[in-house]
Amino acid sequence: MIAELVQHVVNGLVIGGGYALMGIGLTLIFGIMRVVNFAHGEFYMLGAFLLFSLFGSLGINFFLASVVAIVAVGLSGAIVERVVLKRLREQPVEIPMLAMVALSVILQNATILVCDPSPKTIRHPFSPIPIVLGPIHVVAIRIFAGAAAVALIIGSHLFIQKTRLGKAMRATFQDGEMARLVGVDVDRVYTGTFALGAALAGAAGVLLGSVFWVYPAMGDQAAMKSFAVVIMGGLGDFLGAIVGGLLLGVAESLGAAYISSGYKDAIGFVVIILLLLFRPAGLFGRRERLR
Amino acid sequence: MSRAVPAAAVLAVLAGAPFVLDDYYVHLLIMSGIFFLPAAGMNLLLAGGQLTLGHTAFFGIGAYTSGLLALQWGLSPLFGMVAAAALAALVGYLLGTLTLRLRGSYFVLVTIGFAEVIRLIATNWIELTQGPLGLPGVPPFDLGRAAFALTSKRQYYYVMLAFCAVTYGLCARLLRSRFGRALAAVRQNESLAESVGVSAYRTTLVAMVVACALAGVGGSFYGHYTQFLSPELFAFYNTVTMVVMVVAGGQASVAGPAVGAVVFTFLPELLRMAAFYRMLIYGVILLLAIMFMPRGIVDALQRLRRHTPPPLPAPAAGGEALVVDDRRAAGDAAPLALEHVTVKFGGLTALSDVTFSLARREILALIGPNGAGKTTAFHVITGFLPQTAGRVLGDAGIDLTTLPPHEVCRHGLVRMFQKASVFPQRSAIENVTMAGHRLGRAGFWALVFNTPATQREEAALAARAAWLLDFTGLAPRAHEIASNLSLGEQRLLGLAIALAPGPAVLLLDEPAAGLNPAETQRVMTLIQQIRAQGVSVVLVEHDMKMVMGVSDRIVVLNHGQKIAEGRPAQIQRDPEVIRAYLGAGEADARA
Repeated sequence: MIAELVQHVVNGLVIGGGYALMGIGLTLIFGIMRVVNFAHGEFYMLGAFLLFSLFGSLGINFFLASVVAIVAVGLSGAIVERVVLKRLREQPVEIPMLAMVALSVILQNATILVCDPSPKTIRHPFSPIPIVLGPIHVVAIRIFAGAAAVALIIGSHLFIQKTRLGKAMRATFQDGEMARLVGVDVDRVYTGTFALGAALAGAAGVLLGSVFWVYPAMGDQAAMKSFAVVIMGGLGDFLGAIVGGLLLGVAESLGAAYISSGYKDAIGFVVIILLLLFRPAGLFGRRERLR
Repeated sequence: MSRAVPAAAVLAVLAGAPFVLDDYYVHLLIMSGIFFLPAAGMNLLLAGGQLTLGHTAFFGIGAYTSGLLALQWGLSPLFGMVAAAALAALVGYLLGTLTLRLRGSYFVLVTIGFAEVIRLIATNWIELTQGPLGLPGVPPFDLGRAAFALTSKRQYYYVMLAFCAVTYGLCARLLRSRFGRALAAVRQNESLAESVGVSAYRTTLVAMVVACALAGVGGSFYGHYTQFLSPELFAFYNTVTMVVMVVAGGQASVAGPAVGAVVFTFLPELLRMAAFYRMLIYGVILLLAIMFMPRGIVDALQRLRRHTPPPLPAPAAGGEALVVDDRRAAGDAAPLALEHVTVKFGGLTALSDVTFSLARREILALIGPNGAGKTTAFHVITGFLPQTAGRVLGDAGIDLTTLPPHEVCRHGLVRMFQKASVFPQRSAIENVTMAGHRLGRAGFWALVFNTPATQREEAALAARAAWLLDFTGLAPRAHEIASNLSLGEQRLLGLAIALAPGPAVLLLDEPAAGLNPAETQRVMTLIQQIRAQGVSVVLVEHDMKMVMGVSDRIVVLNHGQKIAEGRPAQIQRDPEVIRAYLGAGEADARA
């Protein structure tokens, strides 16, 4: 019984790591740019497809292909910010949001046209035989995905805390107008933020795409999950997104095992409704409204 | 009415359409009409600044409610539709009470989540919905009895047209009424809206209920028209379609969602010839439309036409009373008193045990160096900040301590903001009319039906707004958009806005900051005129000439504590006040 429980928790944590990466990207983009990124799921899908093409079709080394895929998704994020979002910066929040909806329609349908839309798996170089750790069994790719997610989360945390661009991002988050006044290049911050957010979604796609299936609509569910993560953690809250992601992963894994697999995907949103009743400002209760 | 002619022309064209078009296009028009209902509701909410991305949930709830009632109990679809609207409205009300206290982005994300939960329930509650298989055999729509069932596309079309016309009229009325102005006020400047007596929560909640009821009606009709229900109804794609119709069609006016509903129902169908490229082209068109017409198709069309503003209503002939409720200007009781008010932010004490009161018809200045707690005091008095300890008492000793801003306004206290003191995207006259919200009495249905009493009330509100612009000297700029006014004019407009609800106590936060001497003089004169009409005034100001010139009494704050209180001449000689002001100066001089 206990062993089974631990097994579900471990499985949940691996998926939760991916959700956390998605959530961080979404929450950064929202917190700094006030853009609800509806193309977030498509950046996730793009990461998985790029890995599939580079590694699966072109035969480039798995790890190199993963890195190239993540960087490429980040670059496409930067282009989207420069070409589309920059023009819409003065518009009310629903306008850039709807532009991202349009972008997600474009990306998903372009992928259907360019690639074969049937679900595929990535034949990663890890052994399919589970590693036995006491009572639990984990396949190596899951350990790799979990460890890589942790590394990427720590990496982006350090990036935001230590680098010049990261500090400028934090300043813009606190007060965009003031940041501009003290000489922060807000244009650069916005481009950098969107690129980083997209790259993190792409990374989640690379990692979870290696564990599960790859198909053009894979971003839809992932985007829903990351919205749940961001509401749980509090809008614009970095730590909240990490905790929210891990919690959602574990809750889903346990819910599917002990409650109902059909309702598994609803768990995140049920948690949200409960949270709204009892902790209306997210897990950590930091309010973002009314400065 | 000039509006009636084009409306009748459009209606005539639409009524004739089925005689010219073949059934396929009539079908598309019916689908446009069905989607117009939820889109119009969504537009109403968006007018209040709230974007719902779960609207398809209410559409689906409507479809399943009347569909299941008809299938299981044989209830007429007409009654089923009433039940559908009622249930959708009820669910919308419940979701609204949960989410509309935290408006904005929270609302957006929670509505997405809600729709997802409802979709999963519809997919997994097999006993009720047959899950993904769906429910075939929903009876056709009828007009109360099976004998009056609709049989042809043309019949469906005319019933749909009637629903759309009623919805259009309802939404247009609401948007042009006092309720519509309250929505616009919440969207453009929520704090200011609250300060003049608009409850952002209640206003958006009403919009939510109407929006959900409309979605319920639309969904119910859809179910009986297609005669098939499936969880696909709840797909996020449907919500996106509705948002596209509203935003790309054009927000704010009802014509936007109507045009959007037709354009974005026909567009994907016309793109069928593009076969595999259909959705890709649809996405590209949508993206380009948003990038180059962010305000929507209708707005882009309106720009082509020259717009002449309506004439200004004549100000009330005998003048107006500034204080609307006479009872408040009478008597000698203090209209405002602070008792031992303390405010702490974490470890920082912004106000510490502050006590003072305002006499009737007095001009009381609240002064002190930067960071003394003056604006904090205003926030506490008007309900924008909770105090840590102490009480705020209003007229006749009413306890205002725990009241939200819009209720503080109802008790006759209105503040003018230092920054963002106007509704930026509306004209000056509209700004003041919006701010007169509290004086309206007409209820929801009276607004919808525009009863004679409502019309009289609207005329009175318009006349009062015109009079206030006259009073503040802004009448020549009445049709200018507020954000285009100069800083000085915006201050005067902010003053007119604060006077619109007819306050007994007016709180002015640095009304002269950034103004030139002539403008400052103008504001001083106005303050004296306002007091002469029976309004008591609390003034926060840095301009000492103005403070000493207009105020009867002065309260001095320093580091959150009251350090002196008295007549201007006394304060000028008070050693503690001199130290508080000059102490900082000396320190600077030495540095």
